Amino acid sequence: MSQSSAQYQLIPEVKIRRESFGGILYKYGCADRGALSFINSPQLIELLIASQQQHQGDVTAAIESSRYSEASKQKLYNVLDNLVKRGYIFVSEE
Amino acid sequence: MAEFVRFIERSDRTASSKVGTVHPLALAAMQQTGEQVSYQKGRGSQRFLQGGLSAPVTVTWEITAACNIACIHCLSASGRRRPRELKTEQALALVDELAEMQVFQIHFGGGEPFIYPGIWKVLERCTERELVMCISTNGTLITAERARRLKEFNPLYFQVSLDGGTPQTNDRVRGEGVFQRAERGLEFLAQEDHSLTVNSVLTRYSFYELDLLYAIASGYNARLRVTRLRPSGRGQDVWADLHPTQEQYSEFTQWLMTHPDVLTADSFFHLNAFGTTLAGLDTCGAATATCCICPEGEVYPCAFFQAPEFEAGNLHEQSFREIWQNSMLFDYYRRMGGGACSGCGQYNVCHGGCPATKWFVHQKLHIKDPECVLL
Repeated sequence: MSQSSAQYQLIPEVKIRRESFGGILYKYGCADRGALSFINSPQLIELLIASQQQHQGDVTAAIESSRYSEASKQKLYNVLDNLVKRGYIFVSEE
Repeated sequence: MAEFVRFIERSDRTASSKVGTVHPLALAAMQQTGEQVSYQKGRGSQRFLQGGLSAPVTVTWEITAACNIACIHCLSASGRRRPRELKTEQALALVDELAEMQVFQIHFGGGEPFIYPGIWKVLERCTERELVMCISTNGTLITAERARRLKEFNPLYFQVSLDGGTPQTNDRVRGEGVFQRAERGLEFLAQEDHSLTVNSVLTRYSFYELDLLYAIASGYNARLRVTRLRPSGRGQDVWADLHPTQEQYSEFTQWLMTHPDVLTADSFFHLNAFGTTLAGLDTCGAATATCCICPEGEVYPCAFFQAPEFEAGNLHEQSFREIWQNSMLFDYYRRMGGGACSGCGQYNVCHGGCPATKWFVHQKLHIKDPECVLL
């Protein structure tokens, strides 16, 4: 995935909750398959919550408006690609 | 935002005080399981669930015990309405509390949820509080008009029960004529384009009709959801006759591999010990990711563990938050060890199977799952 031209957007149905280990992503629409993920990164959970609350689910905007180093951004985009595969995020090309 | 409704007829308590006592039989059974294995550095869901989440992901809420049919394997022995069932105002207050705790989903069951007098108000409140709703119904009370009205609530999906792909197999368990009536309910829901699953308990007899059930579900644009039979409620009486054989479970595991779109409610993780890892959670989520609220306000570790010895608290006495966070029963339950399964090479893929099944079959928790595939 080319991060420079891709817009990462949280799917509106995704719900997020903080937990002591990080947090949970939950997507409704089916009873039990692929709808629940445990995320052991508080930083990622905070980023996704910020995307939902301040950027209408636009994760790219949340990343770009924060003070991440280029290396951190690259790591985050790699993680987001994984969440795309799991169906929590979709990508639109600009 | 909906106005918070106070849960009537409950005295105020200190939020931090420990809730309830632990029945001596439950305490002894839990202690016999030994020390808990630490999963903090391991893989799998267990390491996140150990100790319990801040709130359940899903709450199963058996909102009434009243039912218009009488399944011989009913896990909650439903039939007639019970005297202390929550009033509508109490139910609304509970919805508010679950929303405040950030519970994601309420799974309504029973009994038959559509017999509960306040069901429409409860669904309305869940919609206002943005809680995901799932209704597990026998389908027989769904009319064209109700199916239309239910479109007002969102997000909402349905599980309609069919425990066989033919009237003979289904009605033997669920009662005469129920297959046809449930199909009519499915038809009405499908006509309104509701999100649907056909829910089927796997039995020794329905096993032969899995393909048929799959085809029936597809015909309604629904997904098939197959779940494990548990020996709770009236299920205790028919367990020996209905529970699948080891050979059937082995074939079923292969069948699931060729039908990846079939849902299982994460109820067959004990079959992971065959060597094929099934999709979903690989461990029991009772008291850690889920729990069950029963019609009279009793809270249990899960819908299949409705044994009085394992009651964690009662909503007539405590708030749900107090019970979830401070129940002594849940505290012990979340610290159970692997018992006889601790040294098994497959423990990390099945985590000892279903505690409720162990309890209802042998009144012990430190033993292997009665349906352990390695027995």
